[in-house]
This record gives sequence, structure tokens and C-alpha cells, in this order.
Amino acid sequence: MSQQQDRGEARRAKLQAVQAEQERSTARRRNTTVTFAVVGAFLVIVAGVFAVTKATSGGGEPQNVQLVRSDSHRLQSAPGDKVTLVEFLDFECEACGAAFPVIEQLRKQYSGKVTFVARYFPIASHFNAERAARAVEAAAKQGKFEAMYQQMYQVQKQWAEKKVPADELFRSFARGLGLDMAAWEKAYNDPTTLARVEQDVADGKALGVEGTPTFFLNGQKLQPTSTDDIKAAIDAALAG
Amino acid sequence: MLLSPADTAQQDRAGFPRLLPVLLLVGGLIGLAAAFALTVEKIALLKDPDYVPSCSINPVLSCGSIMKTPQAELFGFPNPLLGVASFAVLVTVGAALLAGARFHRWFWYGLQLGATLGVVFVHWLIYQSLFVIGALCPYCMIVWAVTIPTFVYVTLRNFPARRLTRYHSVIVALWFLAVITLILIRFWSYWSSLI
Repeated sequence: MSQQQDRGEARRAKLQAVQAEQERSTARRRNTTVTFAVVGAFLVIVAGVFAVTKATSGGGEPQNVQLVRSDSHRLQSAPGDKVTLVEFLDFECEACGAAFPVIEQLRKQYSGKVTFVARYFPIASHFNAERAARAVEAAAKQGKFEAMYQQMYQVQKQWAEKKVPADELFRSFARGLGLDMAAWEKAYNDPTTLARVEQDVADGKALGVEGTPTFFLNGQKLQPTSTDDIKAAIDAALAG
Repeated sequence: MLLSPADTAQQDRAGFPRLLPVLLLVGGLIGLAAAFALTVEKIALLKDPDYVPSCSINPVLSCGSIMKTPQAELFGFPNPLLGVASFAVLVTVGAALLAGARFHRWFWYGLQLGATLGVVFVHWLIYQSLFVIGALCPYCMIVWAVTIPTFVYVTLRNFPARRLTRYHSVIVALWFLAVITLILIRFWSYWSSLI
């Protein structure tokens, strides 16, 4: 009698265990499904938003992208422009500050052989980068592009990565260069100066510039990891 | 209170007996590696202020600029030191659980306290990184990514809520997606320039 009862109980327990296991596995599956659904939906939404922004922003002006425009600033020119090194730079970017002395040295070394062009590519997350680009462009209007460009980098550590407007400091740079301050001030705040900077950025984006500094040697994007890399590329271009 | 074997089994299953030890061990190791790398980079930066850390890839992904901020030393010493110590604890606890260790309740509450403080701190750092500093640091993001699931699973183990426990990975996924959304929105112009 009791044996029969035991057997019944055991069977019931077994059945319960099987049922519980089944429940757990459905729950597990449901958890996995919902997780993937959530992640999938997210990806679809992000891709959609990306597509929409791209369609609305990129559709307008792919007409003429140029690596070097007639108004682009040449730090120095070589006869015939056989080899041209273009740098897209951000005055506030740390890596550009590190590249600055290297470029200065290369300019000396390849003087008369290589054309060096600098183009603006201020990045939005750098608080003063666009101001710096406008300050340099305003100096360029008075023929002092190179001096202002050097000034920015030489003391970059003084002003970079501070989240406060550096207008006063940039003004003092302009004064230090002996610029006509009224004209500089006017150009600094002129929307066309900003438009000039933005033109460079638009060209850079269209050319696939993702960060700064980005170098193009004779139209070819360089990915140098050292000074020697740039030198080797320049030497190859000069030889070729 | 006496629990039948079935009851304890039930309770153990609710506490992610297989997942949690592995998560603590592997997550702890990853977090430890990231915190260690940050510490080494910090020392290199102290030796040479011009040093550009390996994780300063571009203007957005730039730990160099982040490591120089006061937020990187909230308690007066570099934050990654906290990570090196805490993640080592997670590794130990995970390994102990895998080896069959059983802990008193107070131990689990201690782990809960640590995981909670960790997740709060990490979210303060996320906020600072995104909205105050305006840059991302890859090693730090690894730490964020490890801290969130650690907190979720330790909490669900200690305070099991049937519904939430059932959808455990959904919670983690939503949490991650929320952070990713903030990152996308904050640096949208940069991301869209990549495509």
C-alpha cells in the first residue's frame, strides 16, 4: 500500500521536475528572443536615422570637392607643385600639436621640393578649435597665416582643452603679430570667415577625413605612424 | 527555516549559479586589464607630459585629454587605482564561486555594496565624459561595460524579482543601449562624418 503511494509520489515529483525544466527553458528562450529583438530594433532605428541624415546632408553638394583650392593656404610652394602634402588640422587637437614640429622640420628639409598646404578641420568637441581657425583665417586676410598658425601651436598647451572662450588670448596673438586690430576683429567675427573654415571642413569630410591631423600626399591619404613614414612617402613621391 | 532540496535548488537557479561566477571572473579580468592599462598610461603621462597615450586615437576617442582632467582623480588619486583593487576582488569572488565556495549573506551584501558604489561612480564618469569633458576613453568604456552587468546580476541574485530575473539579459541590453544612445547623440556630427 505505502509502496504504491511512494511510487505515485515519485512519479508526480518527476513529472513536476520535467514541467519545471520545460518552463525554465521557455523562459530562457523568451529572454533571449526579447533581448535580440530589443537590440535588433535599436540597430534598425540607428541605421535609419543615419541613412536619413546622410540623404539630407550629403545630397546637396558633392559637386566639386577639391583637395587644394585656389584660396587654400600654402605654407610653402615648390616649383611645379610636383609633390604636395596637404594637412587637415585642428589647432586645438593634441596630435596636431605633436605633428606641428615634425612638419616644421620637414618644411626645412624639403624646402623647394615639396608644397605644404594647411587646411582647417576644427572638430566640434574642441571648444576653441573653430575660434582658433577663425583667428588664423582673420590673420591670413592680412597675409599672416603662417605666423598665426605657428603661434597657435607653439603655445597650444596654454589654451587647448580649456572649456572657456579664448577670444582674448587669440586677440593678443594678433596684436603680438602687429596686425591691424580693427580689421582683424572685423574678419574674426565675419560670417564669411566662418564659411571659409567650413568650406575646408566640407572638403575634408568629402575626402574622407575622419580625424586630425589627416595628411594627403599627392591626393593619396597617408596613415603615418612616425616621422620616417612621412619622409619615406615624400621621398618615394619625389623619386617617382 | 528548513528548505527542502527542491527549494534550495530553485533558489540557486534564480541566483544564476552558472552565469554569475563566470561573469564575475571574466568581467573582473577584463576590468582589471583595462584599469591596469589606464594606470600604466597615467604613469607614462606623469613621466612625460607630452606623452600621447595608446588610446588617444582621434578627437573623440581620446583618453589623453580625459586623463588630465580633475575628474580623473575624484578622490585625490587616479581613479584606475580603485579599479585595479575592485576588479581583483571580483576575479577572486568569481573564481571562488566556480570552485564551489558558498558565502554568508553578509558577504553577498558586501559585494552588493561594492557593485552599487561602482555602478554609481561609473555613471558619474559617463556623465562627465560625455557632457562635461566631451571625449571618450576606450579603456574607461571597457570598465563601464563590465560594471553594468556585474551590478545587474549581483543585484538580481541578492534581490530576486521574478519578472526582472526572467528577463535578465534584456535589462542589461536596455541599459547598454541607453548609454550607447547617449554616446551617439552627443557625438552625432562626428559619427555621421565617418560614414
